[in-house]
Amino acid sequence: MSAEFIAWLYASSLSTTIRDMLWVVPTVQSVHIIAIAAMFGSAVISDLRLAGVLAVDRPAREVIGRYYPWMRNALLVLLATGLIMIIGEPDRVLVNSTFWLKMALVLGAFSVAWSIRRPLLKPVAGAAPSEAIHPGIKVLAWLSIGLWCVVIFCGRWIAYSI
Amino acid sequence: MDIQSLLQTLQDTAIATLIRESDSGFPALESIHVIGIALVLGTIAVVDLRLLGVAAHRPGALRLIKELLPFTWLAFVTCVVTGVLMFMANATTYAENPMFLGKMGLLALAGLNMAIFHLGAFRRIHEWDTSLPPPTQARIAGFSSLALWTGVIFLGRWIAFV
Repeated sequence: MSAEFIAWLYASSLSTTIRDMLWVVPTVQSVHIIAIAAMFGSAVISDLRLAGVLAVDRPAREVIGRYYPWMRNALLVLLATGLIMIIGEPDRVLVNSTFWLKMALVLGAFSVAWSIRRPLLKPVAGAAPSEAIHPGIKVLAWLSIGLWCVVIFCGRWIAYSI
Repeated sequence: MDIQSLLQTLQDTAIATLIRESDSGFPALESIHVIGIALVLGTIAVVDLRLLGVAAHRPGALRLIKELLPFTWLAFVTCVVTGVLMFMANATTYAENPMFLGKMGLLALAGLNMAIFHLGAFRRIHEWDTSLPPPTQARIAGFSSLALWTGVIFLGRWIAFV
């Protein structure tokens, strides 16, 4: 991320407006946190089902299918609110290595989350297959939860790693 | 001992001083607080939406509540512990912060709303366990809960901005 690009973005009218209207950043951050709750809550409930801890009487396919749209939509809100925060304060965010670590972890966490959900989201022809979950899936489900926790830590730490 | 000297005493304790003077103490507490927030709001939202008639991962409301509330409580206790420690680190300042005081007020109202629900419509849940939409009292409780907890999060974020 070049210094010229960051300077250009900082000087843009959009960036200036976001910074000048003092209520925007705290409000956008609050929406970001609400979306974290929607995404992490959905992720944890469905990951705990895959780990065999919660709602084991319900078919995994149903639990995953119920919460995946919330995860995906919340992630879109997180990206949108995140983008507003980046545009508003590019000089603080884009030079911050904790921010870039967080972005890499978001990609990693979502890849793991997607990989364990994709087989259960595909429509099945005929009778539903047996619901036994491979032990590797349980490990990945716990890993997924752990990665999201690290993402949350990175998110908070951005402000402290100037 | 008056309130001001009590707050000062809390702030002067060894643990509060340690948190305030360490580099990673406060950010770590905040990060754990966010994870707790995400799980409180995330799991409460599933129940509240069910009270509003939005299907969860099982048809029965009672079993859903019994399944998720332990997670909500665990997350809430985490928020209280991290919150108390953060408060102690700067007790005199927070006690004068209108956003902090407002957040405490909304938390009390959220608790009251929960108590009213548990003593009211919840007592008769066997009558409406699988009914959609649930009775009016349950829907009011669900809507109020979502509104109050969203408010708690907004005020919580705004503490740092006033």
